[in-house]
Amino acid sequence: MPDETDELDEYLRGGSDVSCEYQRQPAPAPPHELDRLVLESAGSLKSKTPFKPQSLAPFALAASLLLSLALMLAMVFGPQVKKPDDKAQVVRVRIFKSEPPRATPASPRERNPALWLQDINALRRAGRSNEADAEMRRFRSAYPDYIIPISE
Amino acid sequence: MELKDDDAGLMLRYRDGDAAAFAALYAHYKDPLYRYLLRHVRNACAAADLFQEVWSHLIATRARYEPRAKFATFLFHIAHNCAIDFFRRDLNLRRVMPVHESESPLLEAEVPEHQRPDRVAEFVEQQSALLAAVAALPQEQREAFLLREETGLNIEEIARITDVPIETAKSRLRYAVRKLKNSLRPMQEPEALRLRTYA
Repeated sequence: MPDETDELDEYLRGGSDVSCEYQRQPAPAPPHELDRLVLESAGSLKSKTPFKPQSLAPFALAASLLLSLALMLAMVFGPQVKKPDDKAQVVRVRIFKSEPPRATPASPRERNPALWLQDINALRRAGRSNEADAEMRRFRSAYPDYIIPISE
Repeated sequence: MELKDDDAGLMLRYRDGDAAAFAALYAHYKDPLYRYLLRHVRNACAAADLFQEVWSHLIATRARYEPRAKFATFLFHIAHNCAIDFFRRDLNLRRVMPVHESESPLLEAEVPEHQRPDRVAEFVEQQSALLAAVAALPQEQREAFLLREETGLNIEEIARITDVPIETAKSRLRYAVRKLKNSLRPMQEPEALRLRTYA
């Protein structure tokens, strides 16, 4: 047993031929690819450090605040103009084959040409010729193709 | 190899965000750690995987680091645990792989490279007599010897890394040294004989 203890003590002191022989052996090192992987994962290779979104957080906050402020100012002080309708405008074109467009009659009575003519005749009989003529011009513009009976 | 106690300080700096401190630690420990793993598991591919696993674990748990021991003790304790897991996986794989099935061409590809007898033999042949003797040591004795040689840590620290009583660590190292000394004798005897002949 004392020999064994001396053997171990000698080894621990560094004087053992085992230790000397071991230290003389070739010393393999990890492949460079491993170095790169480990250092990258530790964040020690700055050029290839993974992108950290949290580093842009202050810029994102500032941009959000600016955008909010701009929107508020636009709502308060901006021109109150109604935006043109974005929808495509449909233009309806009506083609009149027999009758051209005419003025819309003013009253329910004027919508009936016979009654309108009776009113005009009544004005004429009452001596209100100017008014009767004016009404007749309106009648003509409303019913240009209406055939007025001879009696009227 | 001399290990500095202020490596714990570097680790604290890395914990607090100093990536350059990690680079310094890595430069200091990468070679001894790699050799420890390579000569302990006796397979280059497995050693490379474990090497990366050890550093990844250290990086992932850096926020919880407290300097309760030398940094080398901390680092090689991680390495010891990774190696233990490796040997456990290796053993389980061999248990579920009956010998006659391992001869099947289909399953042969699933056997880890380092378990193939030709690869193990090749690994041993490439080494010197001493390294071959180290590879042939029982796992616990081999680890104790490699920890001593690669880190320079004392018996107490080796016991701490390997989670055993100090006497157990001392006993393992003693047996390892004795076997390795014996392995060197065949190399030394011819030299001694030659010298005697000339005399």
